[in-house]
Amino acid sequence: MTKLLYDYSGDFDPSFDHAKISKEGLVGLLHVYSDYIRRLDGNWYLSVMDRCGNDTAFTCDSEVWERLVLYELKVARDLLNIKGDDAVAVAKVFQVSPWFWMYKCDIDLKSRDHLVITYTSCPTLFALEREGTGREQQICVDLEMKIFMKMAHFYNPKMRVTALKLPPRSGPDDICCRWEFKIDRGK
Amino acid sequence: MTGFLNDYSGPFQPDFNHEKLDREALLRILKANSNYLRRLDGTWYITVMKRFGNEAAFDCDARIWKKFILYEAKSVSEMYNIKGSDVAAVLKLIQASPWMWAYQREYDLVDNNCGTITCRNCETLYNLEKEGTHRYKQICNVLCRSLFELRAHYINRAIKLTPLQLPPREEGNDVCCRWEFKIEEKV
Repeated sequence: MTKLLYDYSGDFDPSFDHAKISKEGLVGLLHVYSDYIRRLDGNWYLSVMDRCGNDTAFTCDSEVWERLVLYELKVARDLLNIKGDDAVAVAKVFQVSPWFWMYKCDIDLKSRDHLVITYTSCPTLFALEREGTGREQQICVDLEMKIFMKMAHFYNPKMRVTALKLPPRSGPDDICCRWEFKIDRGK
Repeated sequence: MTGFLNDYSGPFQPDFNHEKLDREALLRILKANSNYLRRLDGTWYITVMKRFGNEAAFDCDARIWKKFILYEAKSVSEMYNIKGSDVAAVLKLIQASPWMWAYQREYDLVDNNCGTITCRNCETLYNLEKEGTHRYKQICNVLCRSLFELRAHYINRAIKLTPLQLPPREEGNDVCCRWEFKIEEKV
């Protein structure tokens, strides 16, 4: 059952829009949108995979996200004024991402040039583990690396991305993945 | 001063979440997320179309949306407590859709058993017009119709959908499409 965010059981209101919703309701909606975006993307992947196979679906997925991640970054920059050339900007972008609500992650900003992000809960990985076909190698390793590189280089082409820990997990209590974003200013 | 953030240009906050933003910022993000959905869906379509042709892309799109629209209808009706079996409930359901901001629609509820939706601003149609391949015949005239119909039938299978105006647009006509939802009274 989805949480009630706004009681629209009364008369039809021709001018209804989100501006009528409480602040708490707006935050709740962002949560719902996050799930909606993840499901829509996943449905596209599975639909193409059913019809054309996994290699094709993965190729399309990579192309889609290499483009969309740039849109996401521009929105963060333009709507929330997230600017800079350091790891702070990347840390902020993770926090405001439309996907934010779907994952549990620890964001450890060690310095303005050094960020470590640890995913402790990831519904995409959990679904891939249930599927049991090993697709996490492509999705979590190859595609995530490409996306995180795009994010890093959007702010600073010198920022390096390193996967510190990747699937497969040792068990249900293991973390999902851990990534490091780092700029060596001296180089 | 509300104490809430209007953007995220200030210092990094380890405990940041969207509740720290003010209403205006949340509304901006929700609008962007509406657009994000449209782009996500459209980018997948175009990517598959470029590689495998329009037939494959349309087939995937139609299969996804025929399932996904029911998920949307269910979650929106629960989030907004939209009940009833009349046309007013259908218009509410479409008004409150996550796509709310992606299209500029006018809603006219004549009475609880009859209403129209007029779309005057549709980026999808504008892109299809620019493309010039007449794909609107599938996307607007077949798929959109089917999706409006599925939402109407989610509320009441007796609701009849009639397209009053469909693409192609004549020069100078700012209406992208217009639809009538009606429950015929049994004689």
